Amino acid sequence: MDTTQTKDIYTEEFLINMGPQHPSTHGVLCLELKLDGEFVKECTPHIGYLHRSMEKIAENRTYTQFIPYTDRLDYVASMNNNLGYVMAVEKMLNLEVSQRAQYIRVIVAELNRIASHLIAVGTFAQDLGAFATPLFYCFREREKILDIFDQICGNRLTYNYMRIGGVQFDFPKGIDEKIKDFVKYMRPKVDDYDQLLTYNTIFLSRSKHIGVLPKELAISYSVTGPNLRASGVKWDLRKDEPYLVYDKFEFDIPVGKNGDSWDRYKIRIEEIRQSLRIVEQAIGALPEGDPTVKVGRIHKPSSSGIYFRTENPRGELGFYIVGDGSVCPYRLKIRSPSFSNLAVIPELVKGLKIADLVCVLGSFDILMGEIDR
Amino acid sequence: MAIIKMINCAKNLIVGVWSLIKGLVVTLKYFFRPTVTLQYPTEKQPMNDRFRGLVGLHPEKCIVCYQCVKICPTACLAITNKQEDKKKTLETFKYNMELCCFCGFCQQVCPTGAITMTNIYEISVFDRKKFDINLLNVGKYDEWTHTLVK
Amino acid sequence: MLSILGFIWMLIVGLIVLGFIAGSAMFLIWMERKVSAHIQSRFGPMRVGWHGVLQSIADAVKLLLKEDIRPAGVDKLVWWLAPFVVVVPSVMVFVVIPFGKSLIVKDLNVGILYIMAVSSVGVIGIFMAGWGSNNKYSLLGGMRSAAQIISYEIPLVLSMIVVAMQASSLSMQKIVAAQSGHWYILHPNLTLAFVVYLISATAEVNRTPFDIPEAESELVSGFHTEYSGMKFAMFFIGEYTNVFIISAIATTLFWGGWNGPILPPVVWFLIKTYGIVFILMWARWTFPRVRVDQLMGFAWKALTPISLVNLAITGWLLLR
Repeated sequence: MDTTQTKDIYTEEFLINMGPQHPSTHGVLCLELKLDGEFVKECTPHIGYLHRSMEKIAENRTYTQFIPYTDRLDYVASMNNNLGYVMAVEKMLNLEVSQRAQYIRVIVAELNRIASHLIAVGTFAQDLGAFATPLFYCFREREKILDIFDQICGNRLTYNYMRIGGVQFDFPKGIDEKIKDFVKYMRPKVDDYDQLLTYNTIFLSRSKHIGVLPKELAISYSVTGPNLRASGVKWDLRKDEPYLVYDKFEFDIPVGKNGDSWDRYKIRIEEIRQSLRIVEQAIGALPEGDPTVKVGRIHKPSSSGIYFRTENPRGELGFYIVGDGSVCPYRLKIRSPSFSNLAVIPELVKGLKIADLVCVLGSFDILMGEIDR
Repeated sequence: MAIIKMINCAKNLIVGVWSLIKGLVVTLKYFFRPTVTLQYPTEKQPMNDRFRGLVGLHPEKCIVCYQCVKICPTACLAITNKQEDKKKTLETFKYNMELCCFCGFCQQVCPTGAITMTNIYEISVFDRKKFDINLLNVGKYDEWTHTLVK
Repeated sequence: MLSILGFIWMLIVGLIVLGFIAGSAMFLIWMERKVSAHIQSRFGPMRVGWHGVLQSIADAVKLLLKEDIRPAGVDKLVWWLAPFVVVVPSVMVFVVIPFGKSLIVKDLNVGILYIMAVSSVGVIGIFMAGWGSNNKYSLLGGMRSAAQIISYEIPLVLSMIVVAMQASSLSMQKIVAAQSGHWYILHPNLTLAFVVYLISATAEVNRTPFDIPEAESELVSGFHTEYSGMKFAMFFIGEYTNVFIISAIATTLFWGGWNGPILPPVVWFLIKTYGIVFILMWARWTFPRVRVDQLMGFAWKALTPISLVNLAITGWLLLR
């Protein structure tokens, strides 16, 4: 076909809605894609399908009453959300938390990090087409964690476990053994995932060098969490701004080299291993004491605004609270990690195919509950 | 040069095929292991003591202090009381199951342990009117308790 | 007289084979669900019948009773005809599959050529389904599938020709008879041909890791999005019949067909075929999906050269 003929061929761009109901956008996310054949020219995310006006509701609830609402932000990692909010309020009130409560908080937060990363790994493999097997293996492991949480606080997904100044219940008898058994059980399973997926040649060819996020772009879009660490920036709030008793434990921060999807996935697998280390050390060093607090106490902090951030499994979760001396906060702003992570995705997918778009979206591990609040 | 490229190609091929075989071994290992699921609803897991199911009441212990009503984040509890001399007694205690978020605050704040959280979790109904529950009614959860496993 | 008896025998075996196809599709669906369930540490169908054996029949009854929805903008004839064009070639291949020493509908002396010719018609059906559905997702699925199937036909055909060269015949029964002492899988060049055949055949029938036309997480359901009820059931049955066919052909060409000691030949044939079906299912539930361009690259840049080299080596070995 000579060149004069190609100029007369009329091609059109295809506008497709990877709509709110789609098997592989994690939650109700609507992506408006402009396609040229198989390649993505432009991608515009539309959010807000899960908006529940949490920040407005907070202005009419007392500080204790708002804790169940924080469960439902990042519903897969409830303990970490509770922790962030409760520590922000404790900072406003300058409350001291007992040592046992701090160790308990670290243990449940790290177990929840493992549970959240298991979902990220499982759904990423499912998006790439390993249809259900890694997902079922990850959920089988997650069931053990949820059973432990069920015995600690009585619920499997929305825990409502942290209180301002402590936790809801003390650990029941026998839970130490169960947690130690879980750590022993989980270690070989992570090696299983490595053998099944991580170095699989089809998996490598689908995810290596796809969606490379350069360091400067990541920092300028304020991407945080495993996505930032995969791009080569060694930044983890547990080491750089330690809160609770994280400075007493020995653990490494895995950092990636290329910033592609495979790195983001591999960092999550390594973080599961490091979290297991932290849980093992914490459960061995649990001090005595009473970690519970009375829940009927009324708090009336007044401050011009404090910001406290913690390391959620998805990134940096921050709470900015302004109190005015009454029982309800004047303004509560939630800085959710998935919101900033989602903002960088349209930059990365220009020129990729649809299959790669699904891979990049899966590797960023966003959750709509956090984005829409 | 071409021979080095061919050798690299062959090496990549062998490494790739070996990784696939290793993945197959993992799957086969789990094929022969016992399953971990339960056949619901013929086999059910019993819930533990701390489980936060529906709200239940021991009316004789209640001192009508209104703490549970004040602390509920979704305002699903409603009490009216009778005043007899200086003692308050319960007249009605309404519970809206639809609004309840199963947080457990009412159980934790109650000074006498009158309001508790039962083990009932299979709570789907066909009629919205069934969501308004009168907690003073002793047989309110009868249609659900027989499904529980001890 | 003999020709009339031969004709009647052909009809009888034909009817038996048709019955077998229907039963085998249902059995394969149950087997797939059970194999996938046990790989994933769960049970699979358990309620209908002992360990769920009757589940496929229940599903078939459900699909029969479903409303046949025809979307408004479809191209009527093309959309209606597509399931048939997909299923009929699969059933036609059963004419030359040797179930036993004389249990074959008709032993055509161009058996392999007939198989290759007839199975190539199936791709037209998939493309018709994609085009006739008047749906962007289905069109993408249909086009991808057409490209995939056409690319993988060449390594498939080349590996089957290697076997034909070794046996010096295209007829299926003669190939099985040539393996009576020594199965073909034991020759190293034919082992390579078997591996190439298995990979290409998996791509031909759109199974993972090559199931892009039905890629659920990208295109919802690909080319059969707009089909419901019995038409969907025909696509489904067509897929599982195809799985059985490629395993049966692999058994015949490489694993000795119905040869084997002690047990009757039919039993050996079924054992070997279902063994290969198990391997295909095992691979389906382990591997992620290959991307479209990588799939094409793999077919043209890896499989085709390997099969051509294999052809040359086999020719040299036979002439030596």
